[in-house]
Amino acid sequence: MKSQRRTKMVAAVAGAASLALLATGCSATDGGDSDGPITLTVTTFGTMGLDGLYAAYEAENPNITIKATNIDTGGNALTDWKTKQAAGAGLADVQAVEEGWLGQVMQVSDTFVDLSEYGADDIKDRWVDWKLAQGTDADGRIIGYGTDIGPEGLCYNGDLLEAAGMPGDRDAVAELFGGDSATWEDFFQVGKDYNAATGAAFYDHSGFVWNAMVNQLDEGYYTADGEIDIEGNADLKSQWDLLADGAASGLSAEQSAWDWGGGKAFTDGSFATFMCPGWMLGVVKGQVEAAGGDATSGWDFADVFPGGAANWGGAFLTVPTQSEHPAEAAKLAAYLTSAESEVAAFQAAGTFPSVVAAQTDDGVTGSSELSTFFNDAPIGTILGSRAEGVTAQFKGPNDAVIQEQVFGPATKELDSGVDGDTAWNNALEVLKNLDLN
Amino acid sequence: MTTMTSPPRPDSGEAKKRSERNATRLTRRQRLSRLDVKASPYLYIAPFFVLFALIGLFPLVYTFVVSLNDWDILSGAGEWIGFDNYVAELNDPYFWNSLFNTMSIFLLSAIPQLVAAVFIAALLDQNLRAKTFWRMSILIPYIVTPVAVAIIFSSAFGEKYGLINNILTSFNIDPVLWKSEVFPSHFAIATMVNWRWTGYNALILLAAMQAVPRDIYESAALDGAGAVRRFFSMTLPSIRPTMIFVIITATIGGLQIFTEPKLFNPTSANLGGAHREYQTTVLYLWDMAFNRGDFGKASAIAWLLFIIIVGIGMLNFWISRKIASTEVKVISKRRAKKLARYRATTAANPTGVPAASVVDEEKSS
Repeated sequence: MKSQRRTKMVAAVAGAASLALLATGCSATDGGDSDGPITLTVTTFGTMGLDGLYAAYEAENPNITIKATNIDTGGNALTDWKTKQAAGAGLADVQAVEEGWLGQVMQVSDTFVDLSEYGADDIKDRWVDWKLAQGTDADGRIIGYGTDIGPEGLCYNGDLLEAAGMPGDRDAVAELFGGDSATWEDFFQVGKDYNAATGAAFYDHSGFVWNAMVNQLDEGYYTADGEIDIEGNADLKSQWDLLADGAASGLSAEQSAWDWGGGKAFTDGSFATFMCPGWMLGVVKGQVEAAGGDATSGWDFADVFPGGAANWGGAFLTVPTQSEHPAEAAKLAAYLTSAESEVAAFQAAGTFPSVVAAQTDDGVTGSSELSTFFNDAPIGTILGSRAEGVTAQFKGPNDAVIQEQVFGPATKELDSGVDGDTAWNNALEVLKNLDLN
Repeated sequence: MTTMTSPPRPDSGEAKKRSERNATRLTRRQRLSRLDVKASPYLYIAPFFVLFALIGLFPLVYTFVVSLNDWDILSGAGEWIGFDNYVAELNDPYFWNSLFNTMSIFLLSAIPQLVAAVFIAALLDQNLRAKTFWRMSILIPYIVTPVAVAIIFSSAFGEKYGLINNILTSFNIDPVLWKSEVFPSHFAIATMVNWRWTGYNALILLAAMQAVPRDIYESAALDGAGAVRRFFSMTLPSIRPTMIFVIITATIGGLQIFTEPKLFNPTSANLGGAHREYQTTVLYLWDMAFNRGDFGKASAIAWLLFIIIVGIGMLNFWISRKIASTEVKVISKRRAKKLARYRATTAANPTGVPAASVVDEEKSS
């Protein structure tokens, strides 16, 4: 017995000693004053087009060194942010945040620096109103500087439409879908005509169409006062019925999003139209090229969108309160979201600027590698026109979970032939099981 | 008593004291060496226990504490709610769904894997040319990182553009929905697991087979036992303890399966398939923690899984104990019979060897 007790004692002492070692080892800090050399960390995700700007900023500010990390997808970036937020350490000085997680970010908005303390009020006129409003929390603190926005236009394959006896010209296509007063009814009607002529599907899968439909509504999955309400949202249900009718008519190509058979679906005529926010243009180009296609694959970009203006995605740059150099970090965030920077980012990655002055800049409206790919479509001008009338919808903390776990399976059911009402009821059942709020 | 009354003899008393002092007061070197003998063994084993306490025991206990709270990933600890998270999980259809998927994938992978591993090991146990080459080559899948395996297999099992469905359709067979139906997806994931682990298990079993004395095989062959009979009656029973080890490790690994289902369809909106067709328990745990942000429930799931694994581990242990004890029982039964026979003969002939020597013999044996 005695020897056993002693064993415990020894183990406890040894454990405590090593814990102490760890604790002291972790507390190393690099406290530097504002004049000395400062290292700022930046975390971005996907293709934000900021990489070229870091070197320019370092050249202008010799005492600043930027350590940038880019995470491959928004989903992984969200996990990364959440984990570090939960741990209370490890976040970058300038942290990119996506519109889709804004509901979660706003839950903990007090862990982000109020940028008004670092001159946000002087520059807040640079953004479109609704973008600034999105980055402002309930107490009126500005916590995020807008980078890009995601106004949605319609990508279409001109060759395929012409083969179906439809116009392939950009303006005529916009007219075909209803021009300025384009509705989803028009969209599905054109789809049915296309399907009757060719027997082929019209759009890639129901999920992206549903996404656009939901984002357009005044109230999505949440009411404006922050309650989840799906069963009682009549607009949502009537859109769902339209979508279900389209899928039942064979308009969906039943593709897996973000996979598309490694891009093959974009080149083998699986579908003729595609929902395209600005940042998606680069994705389409990448997919076509991955499948061996190029500018001759027929893809084009029309200045029309069913149901009016819609926004999908876009990001913000924030400064977490964990940052040891909030003033310098805020300055860098302001630089990265200036008109010149956003033009540069657009040219690099096709991310459409949220800064008003940048939207009409020649660098955005002019031709680029991306516009050449889309049959010389004036991409910047079209996106600018598509951005008019976008309003910010309230996104609750579980918006992304509902989108993925409730309506992800339900839209897949529509694609695989389940009727609309059954799929809708299944979605409500899942929502009940998930027990969200 | 006389010594008490007799006057003290200072000389001898002092000498005694001195000698006592010499016995108790050690030199520094002696004391150090005594400390060394007593304490240093604990110091030598300390690294394991310290590490275990830090990265094993502490997380275990902390997870348990978290599981008793309403704990959100972002806003942190909430109310203390006792075992509500456990009750909620045991009533959650998705938890049971994940357990079913885990068990199904485990059975689909473990059984064919072990059968194949035994068979391969038996082949490698033969007199082959270029032995090392064959042994190395079955281990190659194990060297490949599971992420790479998952990416290649998930591409091959693609529903619309995958290699396997292309081959099936070229033979006019309907394509299989590998990623959206329950059994095909389990089969596909089990294939990845089997591909990776069969060779590893085969090598372990091969080592066990090589430890079986060759002369037993020879005498069995001389007695007319064929290769099949030798395999089933001699090889399999001899590798039983190793078999149990392989089964236990395969169980623990199988119940914690994560990478393969996570990367099987990385673009899926829902982790583990649109309708959670292959969402295993660890995947469900991850979803609960990082997508739905409920750390309390996620910790409860972790503990439930821990209890299940411990339960299955104890079952395995019990079975292996039973197998071991039956062997002992057989031996002791034989010995008891011998002893009884011996006693019977000595009872008939009391002038023979005394009983004590029997006991001695029993002790020494």
